[in-house]
Amino acid sequence: MPSSDNRYYLKNAVPALFIMAAVFLLPVGTVFLKAFSVPGEIGRTFTDRYTWRILLFTVLESSVSALISVVIAIPFALFFSRYTFFGRRALLTVSDAAFAMPAILAVLGFVIYYGNNGVLNRLLSANFQILYSFKAIILAHVYLNFPVAFSLITSALLSSSDQGEQASRLLGASEIRTFFRITLPRMWGTVISAFTLIFLFCFPSFLIVMSLGGNPRFFTMEAEIYKRTYTDVNPSSAASLSIFSFLIMTLILVLSGYGRSQDKVQRRKVHLKKTRGREKALAFVLCLLILLFMAPPMLSIVHRSFFNRDGVFTLKAWTDIARRSSSGAGTSIRAVVNSLAVAFASSAAAVSLASSIAMDSAKRKSTFIALLTSLPMAVGSVSLGLGFSFLSAKLPIRSTAMSYVLVFLAHLVVVMPFAIRTILPGARKIPQRLSLAAKTMGGCDREIYRKIEYPLLRPYRKRALAFSFALSLGEVNATLTLGEGRVTTIPVLIYKMINQYNYQGASALAVILMAVAVTVFAIGESKGDESVLS
Amino acid sequence: MSYLECNGLKRIFPGKFTLDLSFEMGEDELLCIIGPSGSGKSTLLSLLCGVDSPDFGKIILNGRDITQEPIQKRRIGMVFQDFSLFPTMDVSQNICYGMRNIAKDERENRTAELLDLVGLSGFEKRSVSNLSGGEAQRIALARAIAAQPQILLLDEPLSALDAPLRKRLRTVIRQIHEQTRIPMIYVTHDREEAFAISDRVMIINKGKVEAIGRPQDVYNNPPNLFSARFTGEGSCIPMSLLTEEDSEKLAFIRPEDIKINKTNPSENYIILKDATVVSAEYITSGFFVRLSYKGSELCCYASSQPESETVDLAVKRDRVLCF
Repeated sequence: MPSSDNRYYLKNAVPALFIMAAVFLLPVGTVFLKAFSVPGEIGRTFTDRYTWRILLFTVLESSVSALISVVIAIPFALFFSRYTFFGRRALLTVSDAAFAMPAILAVLGFVIYYGNNGVLNRLLSANFQILYSFKAIILAHVYLNFPVAFSLITSALLSSSDQGEQASRLLGASEIRTFFRITLPRMWGTVISAFTLIFLFCFPSFLIVMSLGGNPRFFTMEAEIYKRTYTDVNPSSAASLSIFSFLIMTLILVLSGYGRSQDKVQRRKVHLKKTRGREKALAFVLCLLILLFMAPPMLSIVHRSFFNRDGVFTLKAWTDIARRSSSGAGTSIRAVVNSLAVAFASSAAAVSLASSIAMDSAKRKSTFIALLTSLPMAVGSVSLGLGFSFLSAKLPIRSTAMSYVLVFLAHLVVVMPFAIRTILPGARKIPQRLSLAAKTMGGCDREIYRKIEYPLLRPYRKRALAFSFALSLGEVNATLTLGEGRVTTIPVLIYKMINQYNYQGASALAVILMAVAVTVFAIGESKGDESVLS
Repeated sequence: MSYLECNGLKRIFPGKFTLDLSFEMGEDELLCIIGPSGSGKSTLLSLLCGVDSPDFGKIILNGRDITQEPIQKRRIGMVFQDFSLFPTMDVSQNICYGMRNIAKDERENRTAELLDLVGLSGFEKRSVSNLSGGEAQRIALARAIAAQPQILLLDEPLSALDAPLRKRLRTVIRQIHEQTRIPMIYVTHDREEAFAISDRVMIINKGKVEAIGRPQDVYNNPPNLFSARFTGEGSCIPMSLLTEEDSEKLAFIRPEDIKINKTNPSENYIILKDATVVSAEYITSGFFVRLSYKGSELCCYASSQPESETVDLAVKRDRVLCF
């Protein structure tokens, strides 16, 4: 295609790229300015042994979390990509939903279920000391990321041909030999991709570390940045650490980007076998294990929202929400409205901007833009919130409305890379020939985009909207860091309630959060608007 | 005067490939372009429809130089191998896409006419994702015609379909051509399809025109050995085996011009004695026989399987092509 063909798409994407660059670079630039405002601060931070200790711990917790999540997911993925059985689809759908599961739900679920006086200990009349330890952090990360690894590896195995395995068995190789010689090399690229993605999710972990670690020994970079900002009141030191974290994350992101681009999947449908006899029993056991691991913390939240500490049924938490009363940490109804409004605004804006960026990137077959738009992922949301709060301090207007705007912008930066990543595969799937066919019939670029390509992106935009909405809904780090209490969202209020030991109130709100997240996910994945692009 | 003229059309891909050709085609003509993979068929189509621009040369369509015109202005229709129907539009929306500045009623009438033309009346509201391959290709054809192109390019339009459907649809395409009189350039790698459908065929190889003419002319009197081999089966043997003269030239003989054990052959035949039968493949109308004669391989048709290992061959003298 001549280069002139892509001019329209570039022209379309430029405003979106500009907006994205502005909302990303402004807070990051402010963090840079703050870090350099104190002479020698950057140097001190970069050479401080404590900084490197925190980095080491962050890398350790991310690596261990990613490794355990992936290793556990492999046998499940192998079974789910080979056999079909009752409940298989449902479990796979639930795993997909975990991508958008707010971390605050995991935190609350863990506190209620695994806590010293939690459901597990009461059920077993035991005294497991799980919380406030390194293992609690890892367990929570695995809880959030096992479904991610499971879903990624399963779908990769399902979309790559299993003819190699069939050929190997026909040639007389045992199942073990086939697994190590054929299956494992086939899934290696996906396993590494899943590991990297989970590592990237866990690296800027804040909420889990703060709530379930309970000890500065277990502080990650993001937790330390938060501590330096609000406990030590040393913003320049926090800013320097943010830059350090940003550089490390960018490096990891670039390296993982290269890894992903080399991973090519052979597309061919795998024929699923029906389970029989022992396989049926194994399917039952595997499903049970997943349910036993995933369901109890969430069910505990639902249960706790209706029962007080002594196990007496009460609707107090719910009536508190309905009565618009203050729970000591903010108004629940307001938090719900705030969450929905911010999530709606940020996800709608993100999808609209991401569509034109993804289209341009796909048309020009550019991996650079995709990588560039991933950069916000390299900034932890605490750092981002910090940048926005520095920025707000410099603004002449200080009002609640401005706080809302800043929270919206912070959420936009957080969800934007995910929106682009969701839409981009769809944009790449649109055959070039469609636009050529339309052009031979006199269609201009604008008309082709509007009438042919944009409608083709609809299912991807819908999924991106749902995903962005759910991510924004669960976002707590940036909101907590920059909101200064003016903008209280559901997860922020849950976080505050957890810290006040108001578990029943937190649970009631968490149930609302869960219901909204599940509804949004269901809409995103709903049939009837399926992609027509194969 | 020619309807389409490609004069000194040159597209250079440095170090890889150069397309360098000239040809003309008349109004109402259906020209088939055939050639092996990498011969330049797709490059030529890209230049004609405007996806790519030539480095040198001109494309004159209906007296108008369209070499530098954008795709949208060329009014060249195109039918693709993968149909390229717009999946978010139904059949009638697909067909109407190219109808511009036409009132709604007229658009509907024309859509109905076109669907009738391609034998799919009543398909207006059908979703294109539920069409079979044959139906999808007919809709693609109707859509391309709806835009009233000055010329229609068909890029291997039947390759994605199975053999019986290909045969049926090629007849449909020919009939549509005869009814609409839209000039068509039909690219295929299937020589049988090309011969069956076209007014003229053009053989290209390594970016150059090897032969152009009516199918029967190109088949019976190919201008070079490549065209002879590309247009059908045949035996290529040293001329010296036929004439007993010391010649470095090669003789090319079609299988139908060689007879096995012909009784009382006239002087019009050259007799090759004691050829060895290598194989005999059953081909429903008889047998396709491969033979070896003095180290050279020959092939011919036979109504029955040869009974002996060696046979005498009679080659039609006036059908021997010399290169």
